[in-house]
Amino acid sequence: MGVGKEVVKKLDLPKEIVLDMPLISLVGREEISVENHKGLLEYSEEKIRIGTKAGSLCIHGTGMILEQMTADCIVAKGSISGLEYLS
Amino acid sequence: MNMASYGNAVFWHVQTGGMGIEMKTSLGSMEEMEYYAEKTGCKVEILGYGGLPAKFRRFRKRQALLYGSLCFGGILCLLSSFVWVVDVEGNERLSKEEILAVCKEMHLYPGAWKRNVDTDDVTKTLLESFSDISWVSVGMEGTDVTIRLTETIEKKEMVEKKTPTDIVASQGGIIEQVTAERGTPLVQPGDVVEKGDVLISSDVTIGLEGEEQQTVHIAAAGTVTAKIWAELSEELPLSYQEKKFDGRVKENHVLLFRDTEIDLIHPDGKTLWERKTITEKPVGLGDFHLPFSLRKERLRAYENQEKTRTEEQAKQQLENILQKKAEEYAGKNGTVENIEIEYDVFTDRVCAKGTAAISLPIGKEQEKGFDAANESDGTKHANGE
Repeated sequence: MGVGKEVVKKLDLPKEIVLDMPLISLVGREEISVENHKGLLEYSEEKIRIGTKAGSLCIHGTGMILEQMTADCIVAKGSISGLEYLS
Repeated sequence: MNMASYGNAVFWHVQTGGMGIEMKTSLGSMEEMEYYAEKTGCKVEILGYGGLPAKFRRFRKRQALLYGSLCFGGILCLLSSFVWVVDVEGNERLSKEEILAVCKEMHLYPGAWKRNVDTDDVTKTLLESFSDISWVSVGMEGTDVTIRLTETIEKKEMVEKKTPTDIVASQGGIIEQVTAERGTPLVQPGDVVEKGDVLISSDVTIGLEGEEQQTVHIAAAGTVTAKIWAELSEELPLSYQEKKFDGRVKENHVLLFRDTEIDLIHPDGKTLWERKTITEKPVGLGDFHLPFSLRKERLRAYENQEKTRTEEQAKQQLENILQKKAEEYAGKNGTVENIEIEYDVFTDRVCAKGTAAISLPIGKEQEKGFDAANESDGTKHANGE
């Protein structure tokens, strides 16, 4: 375990801020928001790939649309069938 | 898209469309989007404009719409400067009319200019005017004023036990049962009494027989049940009209202004319609209500059909009606023992005259005369004198 992670654990600090980790929130299987992303890598109605510090996050589903996209946050809507980290 | 998002360009609702990607963006970010598209070799095509500025631009040549909107806004502002609804909540003993009358003196009434209403003054005046109010708050929300109040605990009515009171007959009849809680019963089952006869006397004799006795006057109490006879009559015509619905149902909207009704959708005037109110809502925006209400009603078309009833049917219906009348006469405490009915049959109607035997409490309190009250301290007399 790295020093940073050890410090975060000891001081109980939010990892997504200190370690710049992605914070992923799911609302049912209809909406997903990814904070602290590193950019959109791929977009189609069936698959959205988002770059994060933890790896490339692949969202599978149908009828996917990007509801919102800013430098900090991506919100996608649709029928989500799976999430996958591609290392 | 990544470059645009890092460049703080605003865009949303991204979806695939045709050979490219469709998205929405603000007019302010349009220039940036075009710059980033050019930089990445993409082509920008504007599919359409939306939102309020675009709508204004589209309708800018329609002056009537513009002036109409401005007039509407102006009228809305003007009408929202008045109080249109004054509601009272929490009153039980005090009537709404009494409270509203005091409010009216303080310039608070439906149609009052809101600036003339001082809610603190109204609160103070209400507290001063009604001793039964322990707490009151006058709240103004939009064009509605709600007066919320709490009443004080009701003072229980003290029964004056010292005042000499007789139990007298409220109507004539044959006594069936006497239950005297206080006082001397003067009647017994089987006695015939007239209206006003004393049933339980307030005079009570204290002392043993043969010794000096004392008469005191108290407040008599008790229940006296008697059988009384009530004369009832009713008549029914042999032919009558009945509504026959033909299945046509319509919805109607009526605009109400105070007591005036404006029928927005006039139903067919030739047809008879039965009206039933479904909803009635004040017209307005949010808390700002206009002095209008919109009533939604359901109309059912019907025709009046001439019908006849036989003599036997009329008699049966008359019997039911007289039975109901007798039960109403008896009230909660009385019971209907029997009804004897005589019918007079005419060519167009049947008349029924009945006598209902009803068993009910007939005792009522009646204060003894002034002279008797003065003697309530005790009148001494010897037994047998």
